[in-house]
Amino acid sequence: MSTKRLEDKLNSGLAGKLGQIKVPDIIKRSQSFFGLILVVLAASIFCVRDGENLFLNPVNIANVVRSVSENGIMAIGMTLVILIGGIDLSVGAILGLTATAAADLMMHRAFGFGTTVIAVLLLGIAFGFFNGLISTKLSVQAFIVTLASMSIARGLARFWSGGIGIPITYGNEPNLAPQAYGILAERIWGVPVPAICFLVLGIIFSILLKSTRFGRYVYAIGGNETAAHLSGIGINRVKIAIFTISGALCAIAGMIHAAQLSQGSPNDGIGYELNAIAAVAIGGTSLAGGKGTMVGTLVGALILGILDNMLGLKNVNNNLQLVVKGVIIIIAVVLQKERKAD
Amino acid sequence: MKNLRRALLILLALSMLLTMVACGNNTPAASTAPEEKKDTPPAAEPKKEFLIGMSQCNLGEPWRVAMNDQIAAAAAQYPEFKVVFSDAAQDNSKQVADVENFIQQKVDLLIISPNEAKPLTAVVKKAYDAGIPVIVLDRKVEGDAYTSFIGGDNKLIGKKAGEYVAKVLGEKGGNVVEVKGLEGATPQQERHDGFLEGIASNPNVKIIASQNCDWLRDKAITVMEAMLQANKDIDVVYGHNDPAAEGAYIAAKNAGREKEMIYIGIDALPTPDGGIKSVMEGRISATYVYPTGGKDAIESAYRLLVKGETLEKNVTLGTIEVTKDNAAEIYKQFGGK
Repeated sequence: MSTKRLEDKLNSGLAGKLGQIKVPDIIKRSQSFFGLILVVLAASIFCVRDGENLFLNPVNIANVVRSVSENGIMAIGMTLVILIGGIDLSVGAILGLTATAAADLMMHRAFGFGTTVIAVLLLGIAFGFFNGLISTKLSVQAFIVTLASMSIARGLARFWSGGIGIPITYGNEPNLAPQAYGILAERIWGVPVPAICFLVLGIIFSILLKSTRFGRYVYAIGGNETAAHLSGIGINRVKIAIFTISGALCAIAGMIHAAQLSQGSPNDGIGYELNAIAAVAIGGTSLAGGKGTMVGTLVGALILGILDNMLGLKNVNNNLQLVVKGVIIIIAVVLQKERKAD
Repeated sequence: MKNLRRALLILLALSMLLTMVACGNNTPAASTAPEEKKDTPPAAEPKKEFLIGMSQCNLGEPWRVAMNDQIAAAAAQYPEFKVVFSDAAQDNSKQVADVENFIQQKVDLLIISPNEAKPLTAVVKKAYDAGIPVIVLDRKVEGDAYTSFIGGDNKLIGKKAGEYVAKVLGEKGGNVVEVKGLEGATPQQERHDGFLEGIASNPNVKIIASQNCDWLRDKAITVMEAMLQANKDIDVVYGHNDPAAEGAYIAAKNAGREKEMIYIGIDALPTPDGGIKSVMEGRISATYVYPTGGKDAIESAYRLLVKGETLEKNVTLGTIEVTKDNAAEIYKQFGGK
């Protein structure tokens, strides 16, 4: 059957009739917001027990925004990396490494709050810089470099801690962690501190992407690297900067992670890179590069978190949760292709 | 094919909503009595139905699948109990979120087998302080913000395994490689410490190598292969659970060295792929029944929620040594098919 006839058959059938429904242009353009509204509506309607709305209450919303913060912060860096046509598979491993490092420095080497933050940030920056350097100067594909650094970071983390998680207890003695670090696990007026970090970083990098020269360079490189190069943009410098930013953001996520779980474990963060990429994809950023927004990613991260929350509150089997997530990602990416075609 | 894609968008929305409705567990009808304090008997009006949330740390281990099955089977005996399960797939953050969701649903009882002690302590305390009684199974949390802990005696099991090895190896002694469980979990530490106590009586028994396999058979194969390479003279493999021992056996078989050593495991599940069958088929020499506590948890739940009794803080379950001599009988006793 020729493609044309197949198309005609589909278009005249039920699928076609559904497709004739006019989806307003504004919904197509801001599809990630549409998705967010849809998911919030579904959660509000279906997560009700005994007349009480399990989803739409302050404690649950706080839980949700807290649980998306780590992934969201990593997704910010991932957005930048994907926008220039690359990918960063090492984010989860760097999170594990930095969480372990933070715990070790505070508990075993008497580091204070400030010194720990600086040291761990430097660690993340170092890995990010490594990713950027190798992928540009040695022309190794980002996929391969970050796959390798994922392994390096994971191995280093396990070697550093002897394979075990390092518990974090707070106190004033030198072999205890500084009380200030505990703020990362607190809530201020009911708002979890990690969510505040996520919001602030989201705003900063949103502005960076939209309103600065650097942001325009990012889109230029992602859209057409040759043209960007010919117009005088320092491609390598921008790319290295972006991978470094991604590493730094993973370090922040790692420190939050360690505080939340009161331990720095080298086995944490496994598979987190997939959630970060999913948030970026659902947010409407094209994995080919050049197209997408930071706000879209923030919304994408929220959608993933609300989905998880809704499925959890309804006690849907964990395996089905994975299936639903996968289906959502595919459809989100398919729809983003349609937007490109318009 | 723009229309087709638009159709997909709408179909997605519809299918998602339908999935939620169809797959979500319908929560029970409105109950009358408000939330009770955790350890005191319930108020005058008894509740008609109880929602029990079971937070499992992973379902990759057959032993935990058996735990969930035993909980479900025990709860089926009580029509007033409805049990919902969550699986954290070995991720601490996910398990924290799972418990938070149970707190949101205001479950009448939380049963939890935590992935690791420290990361889960805070959220379990949150549930306990919110008035939800907590039964902790197998793996401990820190502190004492829980109603009852039910677990096997891992130290005793390790000791018995050690004593078995010391006896079997005799005066000559021998070399032991240890295939351990998951590093942050209390059972692994206790099985290790108990084993050391058990072999202390025989100074010629030495542990020459020790690696973690996270309780999983496939990881056990990999770590055993490495230990086989590094150690030419192995007499005993002490697996912290039966999958560890089985994985070690497979690795040894692949290297053609399986007859050089004996294999010790723990769990003794009465399933076709469990430890008792393995003993009957001659692969594992000795395994120790490690009860999941699932049935005991539901019985405790009944005593607490319906009869209003106070539960013991720590309940220790016993063990049975399973060898060739009693394997067939134990298998039948535990309902193996």
